[in-house]
Order: sequence, then C-alpha cells, then structure tokens
Amino acid sequence: MAGYLVRRLLAALVTALLSSLAVFLLVRAVPGDIVAQMLGQAGGDPATEQALRGFFGLDRPVWQQYLAWLGQVLQGDLGTSWTQGLPVAGIVGQAFAVTLELGLLTLIVATAIGVPMGLVAGIHEGRLLDNVIQGINILGLAAPVFWIGLMLLIGASALIGWSPPFMYSPPGQDLWQNLQILLLPILSLGLLQAVAYSQFVRQSVVSALQQDYVRTAIAKGLPQRKVFFKHILRNILIPLVTFMGLILVQILGGVVVIESLFALPGLGRLLLTSIQNRDLPVVQGGLLLVVGVALSLNILIDTLYQYLDPRMRR
Amino acid sequence: MTRKIDRRTFGKGTAGLLLGSTFLGGARSLRAQYAAPAEGGRRGGKLTVGSIVEPPALDPFHQGADARIQVTVLMYQGLMFEDASGTAQPLLAESHELSQDGLTYTFKLRRNAVFHGGRPMTAADVKYSYDYVRNPENGSPGAGDYATIEEITVLDDHTVQMRLSEPNAALLMTLTNKYGGVVPEGYFADQAARARMNQQSVGTGPYMLAQFQPNSFLTLRRNPDYWDENSGLLDEITFVYLPNAASMLVALRSGRVDMAVLSRPQDAAQIEDAANLEIRRFPSFNQKSIDLDLAYEPLAPLEVRQAIALAVDKTKIMQAAIGGFGTVIGTMPAGMQEGWGAPVDELPNQGPDLARAKDLMDKAGHAGGLEVTLTTIIGYDWMDPAAVTLAEQLKPIGIDLQINKVDLGVWINNFRSRKMGFTFNDWGTQPDPSLLFYRHFHKQPEGADFRNWNDGPGSELLDKGRQESDPAKRRAIYVEFQKRLAEQVPTIMMFSSDHVVVSSKKVKNYRHHPTGWYFGLADAWVEET
Amino acid sequence: MSMALPGMAHRDRRDGAIRLLRELRRRPELVLALAIVGFLLFTALFPWALTDLSPTEVDVAGALQPPSATHWFGTDDVGRDVFARVIYGTRVTLSIVAGSLAISAVLGGLAGLVAGYFGRWPDMVAARGVDVILSFPPIILGVVITGVLGTGVTNLVMALAIVYLPLFFRIARAGAIAEAGRTYVEAARSLGVPEWQILVRHVLRNVLPLILVQYMILFPLALQIEAALGFLGLGIQPPMPDWGAILEQSKNYLLFAPWMSVFPGLFIVLAASGVILLGRSVQKIVDAA
Repeated sequence: MAGYLVRRLLAALVTALLSSLAVFLLVRAVPGDIVAQMLGQAGGDPATEQALRGFFGLDRPVWQQYLAWLGQVLQGDLGTSWTQGLPVAGIVGQAFAVTLELGLLTLIVATAIGVPMGLVAGIHEGRLLDNVIQGINILGLAAPVFWIGLMLLIGASALIGWSPPFMYSPPGQDLWQNLQILLLPILSLGLLQAVAYSQFVRQSVVSALQQDYVRTAIAKGLPQRKVFFKHILRNILIPLVTFMGLILVQILGGVVVIESLFALPGLGRLLLTSIQNRDLPVVQGGLLLVVGVALSLNILIDTLYQYLDPRMRR
Repeated sequence: MTRKIDRRTFGKGTAGLLLGSTFLGGARSLRAQYAAPAEGGRRGGKLTVGSIVEPPALDPFHQGADARIQVTVLMYQGLMFEDASGTAQPLLAESHELSQDGLTYTFKLRRNAVFHGGRPMTAADVKYSYDYVRNPENGSPGAGDYATIEEITVLDDHTVQMRLSEPNAALLMTLTNKYGGVVPEGYFADQAARARMNQQSVGTGPYMLAQFQPNSFLTLRRNPDYWDENSGLLDEITFVYLPNAASMLVALRSGRVDMAVLSRPQDAAQIEDAANLEIRRFPSFNQKSIDLDLAYEPLAPLEVRQAIALAVDKTKIMQAAIGGFGTVIGTMPAGMQEGWGAPVDELPNQGPDLARAKDLMDKAGHAGGLEVTLTTIIGYDWMDPAAVTLAEQLKPIGIDLQINKVDLGVWINNFRSRKMGFTFNDWGTQPDPSLLFYRHFHKQPEGADFRNWNDGPGSELLDKGRQESDPAKRRAIYVEFQKRLAEQVPTIMMFSSDHVVVSSKKVKNYRHHPTGWYFGLADAWVEET
Repeated sequence: MSMALPGMAHRDRRDGAIRLLRELRRRPELVLALAIVGFLLFTALFPWALTDLSPTEVDVAGALQPPSATHWFGTDDVGRDVFARVIYGTRVTLSIVAGSLAISAVLGGLAGLVAGYFGRWPDMVAARGVDVILSFPPIILGVVITGVLGTGVTNLVMALAIVYLPLFFRIARAGAIAEAGRTYVEAARSLGVPEWQILVRHVLRNVLPLILVQYMILFPLALQIEAALGFLGLGIQPPMPDWGAILEQSKNYLLFAPWMSVFPGLFIVLAASGVILLGRSVQKIVDAA
C-alpha cells in the first residue's frame, strides 16, 4: 500500500513537472506578448518595447525564464501577475475558491438528482420508467453545457422575468446573492453530471441485481426494502464514492465556458482572460493548480478505492 | 464584447466651438468642461455602471488599453483636459503661455490640487511625472507623443516650463489624460509601485480607487479632498464587468446596473420599450476602418487599393455592423470633421462606383480575380457582420475575400510588427489631427508607419502640420494630407459609431465624453429612490 | 454488425437481409440511431436538397426575422437564413469532429499499439506525454493550442485531435498489452512470424473494435468541445456556417432573437444523441458476441 502510494506520487510529480514545462513553452509560443498588448496601436518606440520586455524578464532565453520560474515555484512562490501586480497564488486561490464552490454545489445537486434517477431506472430495468430515464440521460449527455446555460437564461427571463445578478459576492459576504448567481451555472453543469451519475448508478444496480447473493436473497423472500438497502445500496456505495471524485475532476475542467457565460470570477474564466491578456504567470500558476488538483484527486480516488474495497487490497 | 483597440480620438464636438490654441484658459470652471453644470445636483448615492470591457490593469503610465483610460481619467489628471469641443483646456494647470518662437510653454499650476491621501501637488511632481512618461526607457506607450519635449524645468512651486526641440501645435492636447497624469514625485522609484496602482490610486482626480476585483468589478470612492468642490457628487461608483452584450441588456432591464454604454449601439432597439430606461446618443471620435498594408502583396498595386475603396459601400457596412447608430466618414472621424476634415465630395476614390473599380482591377491585371484575406478580431462584434458584407461587396470586382479571425493579442502583434495585411481596425485619437495621423502615417523612423506606406509627400505634410500654429493654415495642410490619403488608400475610414448610453431614469446630468472615457461621471448624480 | 460465423458466407444474400431486419426489430434503439445518423449524413452530403436558401447570402434589410414559412429557423443579424446555415453547417461541424477524431484514433491508436506491444522505454515516454496532455482541461488545452496555431478549420481539427489523442492511446495500449500476453502471440513468435506481422495481423485486429467503440463514445464529447470553442470565437472562419459559430454569433441576441441559439443547439443535441445511441447499440452487440 505505502509502496503503491509512493510510486503514484512520484509519477504524478513527474507529470506535473512535464506539464508545467509544456505550459511554459506553449504559452510563450502564442504570438503577441503582454508588451504588445500594453503598447497597443500607440507607442512604436523600440526602446520602450525593450524596456518593458526587460521589466517582465521576456528578454532572457526561455530556458532561463523557465528555470527561474521553477525555482520560485519550488520555494512555494508562484510569482506575480503581470497585469494586476498581485501574487499569483492569491489571485489563483481566490478564483479557485469560486470554482470549488460551484463544483461542490454542482456535485451535491447532481448526486441528489442523479442517484435516485439511476436507482429507479436500475430497479425498473427494461421497463417504461427505465426507458424514459435513459432517454433523459441521452439528451443530457448530448446537450452542450453552455447551450443548456443559454437556454436556462432565455427561459428564466422569458418565463418568469428573472435574471441572475452579475456582481459576484462570496458566500461569506452575501450568501443569498451568491446562491442566486450560482443557480443557473449549477443547473447547467448539474444536468450533465446528474445523467452521468444516473447512468452509472443504473449500471451498478443492474449488475448488483444479477449477483448471485442478491438473487438468493430475493428468492429467499427477503423484503424488497431490505434487499435494496442491505445488498444493492451497499454494493454500489464504493464505486459511487470514487465516481464522485471523477465527476468533481470533470466539473473543475468543464467550467471554463460556463464561468465566462455567467460572469463568475472562477479559475476557468481567470485562465481564459489571462491567456487573452498574456498574463503568463497567472496562466502558469492557474494551470499548475488545475493539474495538481486533478492529479491528487485521481490518486485520492484510487487510494480510497483500494482502501474501501477489500478485494482490491493486495 | 466590443473593445476599442486604442483610442486617440477627439475632435470637434457638437458644441461647434472654434478650434485652435487658447493661450489664456483657466477662467472656466472645470465642471463646465467635464459635463454640463449640475443644477441642483444631489450629493451622495451610489451608481452601478455595467461594462463589457475590463481594464487589464489600472496603471495609466504603462497600460495602453482603452478600457484602462476609460476609468483612470476619474482618478488621474494631466495638466490639460481634452474638451469635448476639441480644444485643450487647463486642468491641473491654471493657465499656460507660449513663447514667441513657439518653443517654450510656461504653465501656472492649480494651487489647491491634492493627491489622494492628502499631499498637495507641486511643480516638482509635475516635472517628475512628465519626465517619467516621456522617457522611453520607462516603457510608457505614450512616450513617443512627448518626443518633442526637450526639457522640463521647475520655476517655482507652482510654475513649470517645458522647452521643445521644435514647434508642436499638438503639445497641449498631448498633455491631457490619455497616458500618465500627475503623480507624487518619486512614485516609481519603488519597483512594486506600478503594480500597486491596482490597489491604490495616487492621482488628483475626483474619485479614488476603493477595490478592483478583476473579472468582476471595480469600485471608486469619492475623493473628499478634491480640488473642485462642485465636482464628484456620487459617493461611490461601481463598474460591473459583464460577459456579453446580451447579459448587459438583461442587467439594464432588471435594474441590476444603472447605466451602460452599449458596446453594440444597435442593441438600443432591443430595450427601447423598457419604461425605466433612458437611451441617449452621443457623438464620438472613434473610427471603424479598413487598413491596407502596402507590403501585403495583393494590395501593393495602387489600382487594387483604389478599386477596393471604390467598391466599398460604407453605408451598407455600417448598417450591418452597428445599424444606423453612426456616421459614414471620409478621412476624419465624425466629431473632427467640422474642424479638420476635408469635404468628402472633394476626396478621390469615394464609392461605390463598381464600373470604375472593375476598370482599375483590369488595369492591375486582375481581370481573372484576386484572392485577399481580411483579418478581423475575435470579440469585436461589429467586425463579423461587416466582414461578410464587405466580402459580398468585393465579389463583383473579382476579389475573393477570405476572412481570418484572430485573437486581439495576435492582431496587435501583427499590427505593431507592420504585418497587418488587409484588416479591420477600430481606433480613435485625441482631437488633434497631428495626434491622429502622425504616428500612424508618417514614414519611419519618425512615425511608426504601420501600413508600410512610406510616403514622402504625405510625411512632409504631416511635419508641416505639426509645426504650424495658425489654425487656418494648419487646417489647409491637413486637408491636403487627407486628399493624399484618399488618393493612395493606405486606409479606408468607414464610419464613426455613436456612443449610445442607456441609463436608469434616476441617473441625472451624465454626459458621455466623445472619447468614450467616463469624465462625465464626475458630474453625474442620482435621484433619491 | 452481426458477427460472421464461418458458415455464414455461403448463405444467400436474401437470407442475410432477413436476418438483419429481424435484428433491427429487436433493437429499436439501433433503428432510431441509424435514422438520426442517416439523416445527418444525408444533410451533410446533400444540404441543397433540404433548402433552396443560401447559408451565406447577406440581406441586412431582412435581419433578425422570427421563424416563418420562408425562414423556418428565422434569420440572423445580417439576414442570413438560420435554417440554411444550420443545414449547411452540418457538414462543416460533423466533418471537423469526425476528422479530428479519426486523426487522433489513427495516431493515438498506433502509438498505443506500439507502446503497449513493445513496452519498455517507448512506452514510458509515450505514456508520460499522454499523461501531460490528459492533465489539462480539454477546453483550456483547445484554447491554448488554437492560440498557438491560430483559428481556422485545419488548426481546429489539429487542436481537437491533440485533445483526444491520449484516450485512444490508452485504449489501444491496454488492448495491446492484453493481447501481447496471449498464447497465440507466443505461438506465432515461436513459429518465427515477424513481430510487425503479429502486431498488424493479430493484435491490431483485436484492438480495432475497442478503438471503434471509443471513437463513438468520444464523438459527442468532441462535438461539444468543438461547439464550445466555436462559442468562444476560436472555431472556424466566417462566413462558413458551423453550429458552434452560429451559437457564438447568437449570444448578443439571446433574448431578442432566441431562434438563433435554440435551433443550432437542437441540432447538436440531435447529432450527439444519435451517435450516443449508435455507440450503445454497437457496444451491446459487441458485448453479446
């Protein structure tokens, strides 16, 4: 177990390192740097350009820039934003908090909708209710998240004349406002994840029902409710927990367009605007965080899985 | 998501005041310059302004984006103010005087100007600030504009002198509020000072920075020590950054924002019916144009450029791009036409005239057709419909127009490295023809000559125009230059779009400045609700 | 579709057709899937058969008209017929998605096959590369890649291909590892069959169905990413019609002209659900075999 963890962690570290290098090179390959952005159509003076490039360290060879950045990161310093002048760690952390809240609430909503749907479908396998739910699942998987967001915006405005507030406030400041802002994004993201859940749970229930001991229990005449709670639910609990982690990873990666659409100051939108503004330290720091979170969640899920499931213990 | 690429526009406003240099200003109170006097204006209250463009940063010295200028004019001030009518009026200067040889300006400074935080402003601060911004080593996009300044001297605590290397009729307009502004002496000595401007303002303006939360909002608070006690009525102004034009309309309707300048003027039609809103149009000094890079092979022959100019139907493109909310122009932004523009009927190559355009294409040897790529910018909403309309208009003269949409950063990079090709542009100027034309169209190295025009006669006219101080003679020079411009077609200026301001009825006395910058908020107030 | 048994080839064709029909009747899902995919293929191949209107003709005077008998899906902000744009957009959008996935299936599949079969350092290197790509959120990766390459059809295809390459790689690699350990491979090897022949004749053949299923699973996902990139303005160049690009253009008219955003979205849903259904049916058939 411990050996396994160490191996996984090492592999994750190597991946993170390689990813950071890839990001570093990629963002520098995008034409037009921050200096051009700042000068716009005005200043054409080469001396001015050079002065600004020097200020941002863009006049050094790329490998030097990377090593300098990496050295900083290893000391726990993500650098300073080129546009805002604030520490990247703070900017990225603040944005991540927004995304994380969105992700967790989406997860809750998706679980609350998706799990019962999947249970019902699984128990009614092959019957009408199952078919209806499966139909919903397919439509939910097929619809682009941002399009659902657009439709919800249109619908809310046309049907009840409501539109979400646009000024984000953190939950600690004004919870009501915060929830109003997050409502439509959660619904748009939640639908996709709910049907993913529902699919998964249905499949688990169906296969649990085929297990010999469940069949035996039913044949023995055990009350349905007892079979359900004692055998089926317990059986799918472990995969469900791990699936939750996968969903969270997916949500965190999928919020980019939704955050832009609903003006949420989350990590996805931050990355997008920072790429547009060529604020490279923020892009690097933000992506490092995304990669780090995804990798550690993956390890966590696998470890949890091994720990929870006795059959997986070697 | 319309953004101004860069704004240097200004000019003659609707007021129709005579242009030219005023040598003894200062008598008028500032409030009349920022906006109309606020009769019975209420002090206090908050205002929420919606915006689609967000400043990348709030540093007026190094950040050239128009979205930055829009808001920093409320916090930072220069010696002069770019009056809506197109003259430079004293702002932090109280008066100015020009020596006989046209080389020495002497400024008397306002005595009651105070920096945010309470320190009084003196001549040393003025010298420091302008010395900083004009030094190319300090990396300000404005540095080039100040190139004619040779030396700045402090005469006493409230008097500053600027000596020029050659006469520059545009100097006063350069000392306005686009780049820089007066900040405390020595401010930039600390390397971290640039960045601090996103947390704390250090100017002399009526509003100071309270909080800037990128990707979300920007809040300004009234400056209690502001030197003009009649200005700065609102306690607090918050700019909320919205993701797109549609959500702006929703936010206006629902009252979640009190005021917004529509990024797409034609959106006014979508909210005309809202009883709680007021829609007003203001003239502007911007221009939407087609730029032609002479180093781009298909555009190298003069005949092709002229044929394109003749094939373009500016009215139709404007209709597709912004509806009817603008003015078709010749070679001068609409607001500056009266003061500086050449009469459009005297300009060559004004279309549409398809027969002549086709002849010219034949003459250039392109009777069989020609493929040209037009570059447009992602996020500039007017460009997409304009591009497909332009493609239709160029088809009859045998030009097959391919459209290439690029990211703003890529576009600016191409533009600055003089590889713009055939592209739409969206820009402005401070209201002086020299500031409008010189950098863009003067040949290198004095100008940047982004379009690789490299035109001797045109550059000569631009030199003469910058030195000439007599308004009538100056105008004649620039009319001649514009004819040269229209003849040679390194650019096709299509139209200026109006600023359409939508506001809740409780917002009073807001006048939008033709630059699109929010000077007017200094004099706006809100009714009690 | 039905698994070929040795004797079957001798039966006559009519018999096969009857079997197929019977098979289809047992699988309504498959029928629906084939109907949707068939309709979309037809639309992509013969868009002019479905509409007389041009997807690119500008008519500023007739802009933003609601759906009517002439303009079934209304008109857009420069007066182009939205129905025609959606119909002609079918080919553009679907071929971008299909093409980019095909590229990643071939490249990723081959790389995975080789890496899995031979193992050792090529495997190590490729697996790390794939991990790196997978560690980024797909849309952000798409944004960065289109940022480096620029927008346009080719670059969009490349970006999508890179995003999905790792998934094909992993499937093929896992398949190849499993196959490499099988006895028939050992047997072939001991008979002196060259490695590449074993790889192509046996391993590839067994891995191919896995890749095919993966292709269909990824298709709707890739379609959504394509649409999302188009929505961010990073997709194809105007005036070419593309579903995502139409949605991007519609975002300024969300409430004023909702038809501009509703219909292209519905077509995305239709296409994606068609492929999902098809994938599920195929999966079932593969599982049953």
